Amino acid sequence: MDEKIISKDDLLKICQDIIGKGHTLLTPGMNEYFPVKDVSQINLDASALPAKTSYKSYVFPRSEPVLYYKRSKDDVQLIDINVDGKNIIILGAKPCDTNSISIMRHLFNWDYSDEFFNLREKHFIIIGLMCSHYDEYCFCTSVGSSPVSEKGSDIFLIPLDENNFALRIITEKGKEFIEPYSEYLKTGDESHSKQVTENVKLPEVAFDSKEVYEWLGNNFESPKWEGIGNLCLSCAQCAFVCPVCHCFDIVDEDYSYSEGRRMKNWDGCQFGNFTLHASGHNPRDIQSKRYRQRVNHKFRYYVDKFGEILCTGCGRCSRGCPVSIDIKEIVSNCKD
Amino acid sequence: MNNIYMPHLAEIKEVIDESPDTRTFRLKFKDADTAEKFDFKAGQFAEYSAFGDGESTFCIASSPTRKDFIECSFKVYGKVTQALHRLNKGDTIGIRGPYGNWFPLDELKGKNLLFIAGGIGIAPVRCVIDNVLDMRNDFKDLTIICGARSVSDLIYKQEIKEWKARTDIKTIITVDPGGENASWDGEVGFVPAVIEKTAPPSENTAVILCGPPVMIKFTMPVLTKLGFKDEDVYTTLENRMKCGLGKCGRCNIGNVYVCKDGPVFTYAQIKRLPQEF
Repeated sequence: MDEKIISKDDLLKICQDIIGKGHTLLTPGMNEYFPVKDVSQINLDASALPAKTSYKSYVFPRSEPVLYYKRSKDDVQLIDINVDGKNIIILGAKPCDTNSISIMRHLFNWDYSDEFFNLREKHFIIIGLMCSHYDEYCFCTSVGSSPVSEKGSDIFLIPLDENNFALRIITEKGKEFIEPYSEYLKTGDESHSKQVTENVKLPEVAFDSKEVYEWLGNNFESPKWEGIGNLCLSCAQCAFVCPVCHCFDIVDEDYSYSEGRRMKNWDGCQFGNFTLHASGHNPRDIQSKRYRQRVNHKFRYYVDKFGEILCTGCGRCSRGCPVSIDIKEIVSNCKD
Repeated sequence: MNNIYMPHLAEIKEVIDESPDTRTFRLKFKDADTAEKFDFKAGQFAEYSAFGDGESTFCIASSPTRKDFIECSFKVYGKVTQALHRLNKGDTIGIRGPYGNWFPLDELKGKNLLFIAGGIGIAPVRCVIDNVLDMRNDFKDLTIICGARSVSDLIYKQEIKEWKARTDIKTIITVDPGGENASWDGEVGFVPAVIEKTAPPSENTAVILCGPPVMIKFTMPVLTKLGFKDEDVYTTLENRMKCGLGKCGRCNIGNVYVCKDGPVFTYAQIKRLPQEF
């Protein structure tokens, strides 16, 4: 592993340069990852909780056109979209977020490649930051990640003291990115940063994901689903704050008599009309079936399809749930 | 950029009013290259666009062996099918596809085939029938049992006439009790009852079955009683879809995506799925 040391001041100088070059630099705030306008906005705080939303919308926008159409009397003209993948540097991403893109990559590329996702993702540089604080909703360690996981990061930062970070170069992309700034990098000592990562308090492992996988396979008709379904309001905030939920709708929007656009919009499996057929038939007609789908999709179906859990353990869905449904609790208790 | 959501444009060459609420479009791709290259197998589906109203999913109802055009049949139900219904000859629609799997006709060569269709379910079955008729010598006895609620609800009247005129297929058409009229010369009765009366022996016979869920529910026990094995009964599932590409996340039944692992399943496969469709 290639480990360097960088001071916070020098890191901010790099950020200044990135912004100066016109690239987008995102960093987490309380609510969301936001584009940095001034380096004073950057708060590389390893002890902050995850922002309320991840940077998913930068790779998979909440709403985006997939084509434009123009209707004339007896013809239709289609106008294609070109996604201009702009460089986006994400600084200080939590390990529970850095994981997300690689999990979604499977879905957007099996058989058919969704270039809307791919062209944006290709231009991401993800600079992860070790996480030193967790709350009662965090469970990254139960889904195979950890607060010190480098997975998904191109570069990974570990705070050594107030003014210095260990900087680990993880990928080729990360190496290419940091090379022009090598003047700011000092040679690091892995034992030093290891001492920090080894002392990070880890959230307790709440469940064994393999056991959950087995349980879900044998308990599709469990009466537990009904109990959970009765609590849920079907608001789907859980899907909207989730860093890896990816379901979408495709709808046409006319903006004049003859012109319009076809939009790909985020959707959520908890909405009652998500699977509603035009005939009125609905395979997931009640909330318990929809919640069962959500848990199964994350902890069983996605594993079957792509070998990964569709969850990063960030706890956002539970933190934001208006009726305090805690997915960690549900999954941990399912066997009892 | 390769845009997987971009449809091909096609012109409506002909509009056939099959019944008061069901229409067939005969479509020709505007782009000659697409028309040439567009290839599909019996059972596959496509996404059809009415620009301004969105996309809807239905099977390709014409046979892949008939290359000059493709046809789709749809019943007016929701927003998009209403919009499609408003279109006329000469208008333009969008087509994305073909998607999904197909009826394994190569594996079924040398067998007898029993086609059972109810209501709009005849659309995917018709595609297979025409496909099979264009390679008639590869199959043994063919039987078609087709049902509709009433005589006026019966679609593909022209095709049925052609099938009936042939001596190398047995064609049985039925309408639900009360759905007949004075000039009706076919059967009267629900599809499962008619199958019980008229089905060929199950020996070396595969079944291709499409229709409303309620018909399938009552047909399967009859087929089992007659000795047909679940592995030999092929049917299609139709779940709500948006992308058709395995991404939008709504057509799954358990870990099976109808748009990619289906829409064609054997009854044996369907029995193994979670009962959520």
